Amino acid sequence: MDILLPALVLGAIGFVLGLLIFVVSKYFHVEEDHRIEQIEAMLPKYNCGACGYAGCHDMATALLNKECIVSQCKPIKQDAKVALMAHLDQLFKAEKEG
Amino acid sequence: MSVSALISLAFTAMIIENVILTQFLGICPFIGVSKKRSSAVGMGVAVVAVILLAGIITWTLYHYVLSPLKMEYMQTIVFILVIAALVQMVELIIKKMSPTLYKALGIYLPLITTNCAVLGVALLNIRKDFGFAEMIVYSLFIPLGFLLVITIFSMLREKIEMSPVPKAFKGTPIALVVAAILAMIFSRFGGLI
Repeated sequence: MDILLPALVLGAIGFVLGLLIFVVSKYFHVEEDHRIEQIEAMLPKYNCGACGYAGCHDMATALLNKECIVSQCKPIKQDAKVALMAHLDQLFKAEKEG
Repeated sequence: MSVSALISLAFTAMIIENVILTQFLGICPFIGVSKKRSSAVGMGVAVVAVILLAGIITWTLYHYVLSPLKMEYMQTIVFILVIAALVQMVELIIKKMSPTLYKALGIYLPLITTNCAVLGVALLNIRKDFGFAEMIVYSLFIPLGFLLVITIFSMLREKIEMSPVPKAFKGTPIALVVAAILAMIFSRFGGLI
């Protein structure tokens, strides 16, 4: 009982705070370039920072702005890397034509 | 607690026990975000909001949840949880309300979580055995002192940018020297009350 109660209280506080963050993030949602989301989904999402950016989202933004290259991402697997480069090429091509 | 005691507490919190210059808490954003006045003020206001909210919530949790359940030893973990969640919310709100401020603050915005001033005020509220009114005054005027000092400091740094500083002292080194001189000035307020 001595252990259960603190665990329950802590869990309850965490749950309430999580719920609050969820509500706030829905209410203050910011529409972003969906291309960044696509690129981020193809990165490993470890947020390790090895690329020099503050996380995968930042690197995805930089990739789209042609400020860095895919091989700056250290933990990415070879096939994922090829797929991401192909995807980027496609995006830039579409940008040029459109 | 009388009004005059609250006023003297406010003055002490803001000037005499200034969170940056005499308690040396929250130095990271103080050096990191003080290069431009606009982002320094933005950071200061964000810190005021976070500390005031965190102070109220942690004080209430401590006195109405942790204390009756004899769980005082959990205060650090619970306080950190509350602060982290609050910073997350403030970040989301700033992102929506002011994208320019969001960009200017950059990585320092989520780093308010680890700004020791926030946890420091939450813990000091408990350790100094404050009542509700004292807690409100303390957690409002401590971050106002932060806002005051970071604003003064950013103005000084804007001037320093344009003055001939020896090459080895450019940037952060000269900023630290200026901070030390400011701290010496603020320490003279110590004998006022």
